[in-house]
Amino acid sequence: METVCVLGAGSTKYGKLNDSISDIAVQSSINAIENACIKPNEIEAGYISNVFGIADKQVHLGPVIMSNLGIPDKPSLSIESACGSGSVSLREAFANVAAGFYNAVLVTGVEKVTQTGTEWTTTYFSYCSDFFYEGQAGASFPGLFASMARAYLNEYDATEEDFAAVAVKNHNNGLLNPKAHLRKKITIEDVMESPIVASPLKLYDCCPFSDGASSVILCNEKFAKSHTKDYVKIIGSGRGGSPAALQGRDHMTTIPSTKLAAQAAYKMAGISPTDIDFAEVHDCFTIAEIVDSEDLGFFDKGKAADAVRNQQTELRGSIPINPSGGLKSKGHPIGATGVGQAVEVFDQLTGNAGERTIKNAKIGLTHNFGATGASCAVHIFQNV
Amino acid sequence: MYELSAKQEFIDAIKSGKILAKQCMKCHDRNLATVYFCRKCGNNKFENVIIDGDGHVETFTIITVPPTGFEKYVPYAWVIMKLNNSDLRISGFMSNISKPEDIPIGTKTRIIGFDERGILIQQEPHTSTN
Repeated sequence: METVCVLGAGSTKYGKLNDSISDIAVQSSINAIENACIKPNEIEAGYISNVFGIADKQVHLGPVIMSNLGIPDKPSLSIESACGSGSVSLREAFANVAAGFYNAVLVTGVEKVTQTGTEWTTTYFSYCSDFFYEGQAGASFPGLFASMARAYLNEYDATEEDFAAVAVKNHNNGLLNPKAHLRKKITIEDVMESPIVASPLKLYDCCPFSDGASSVILCNEKFAKSHTKDYVKIIGSGRGGSPAALQGRDHMTTIPSTKLAAQAAYKMAGISPTDIDFAEVHDCFTIAEIVDSEDLGFFDKGKAADAVRNQQTELRGSIPINPSGGLKSKGHPIGATGVGQAVEVFDQLTGNAGERTIKNAKIGLTHNFGATGASCAVHIFQNV
Repeated sequence: MYELSAKQEFIDAIKSGKILAKQCMKCHDRNLATVYFCRKCGNNKFENVIIDGDGHVETFTIITVPPTGFEKYVPYAWVIMKLNNSDLRISGFMSNISKPEDIPIGTKTRIIGFDERGILIQQEPHTSTN
């Protein structure tokens, strides 16, 4: 198996963007290509992740992106795995470079939904659930995670204020990220007083609907070494699945696919959770970050709320979580999110994360899932 | 062999307050009838089992920002209930719920029907919430 490296990374700003879905996808692709110091014709394939291209009148995005990059003859494909599309796409690109099919590939994730309005976006997102049992019965995505939050509050020593503290922490990090969607300092009181969306989750427990695109260039180590440029190795890649509907799971406060993906990634990397210096995790809702950080093995089951209270997950804590601001503050353009996490880890490990750079970090982890964790991918990166 | 889709049969059972389940003929694990292979052993030979649609609230949410089509029902609950006498859970829509105190975890519930709001769940009458 070839060692797979990240040679370059780039993103658009996340938020409400006016350009078309293909324009923002091309822009972030160019950012990554320039950052990698390569020419487009060195790219041998494109892996494009997107969910709701149809809402901006463009599906089959791959050939449009490749044509705009002047490489229309290079193959590409689109991958949809709901909110986990980006990391699933990263994984497929990783597998193909690792297998030796390609020397260098482009991975671009993109989403453009804000033009549809909150009600329709809520509806589109509900199509990512097991619709017969969930979306059809009026379960919104905030509602599905709210059900997990209700079960967590019932089972463990946690309060709604603890959930709010996750949002406050991620907004503090996002303030240091020029590309974040919600760059606004908030307090626990702001979260607690924000309107209820799906009890017990309030508006500020929820990530925003965002537009945006993120890209990375993956290559084998020979290719990376032939370019005089900092690169980062992917030392672990794991995937897992969970029952599509929450009702099919034995426990409501854990996500089976996260555990499976993490175990596989840790095994490939030959490390354990204590070796991770920082992580970008899937905090679509505050409860998700609590559950993720336990499922990834950073804290014992039921102890994550306590860790948040003790500031362990803050930027200068023992295990910083979501230094980028996470989905909550950086934003959640769902097809781009998983790739955007890799962009943050690359920037961190190459010392280019500005004020939010975590000193002496050597190993970073990304965790991204689709829907309520029905599909999940975890990647582990190490600096060189 | 299995029929093309058991969904209509499943919905018909829901409408009479029952759950149509498939019991694996090899390992006896039970799945909802909308599953075609046993998750425990992979077998596709099942026998139909009818389970009473009564149980209790395992967890729930009360939705105030709904998807399209549900505006007129706000606020409503979406509930995951654990069925009595079975390891199975089933989720669905519950109308006229406005505050968490209305349906605390553990509240006795039952399946009462199926319409454009999917599977419908109702609180058992005479349930004490004290």
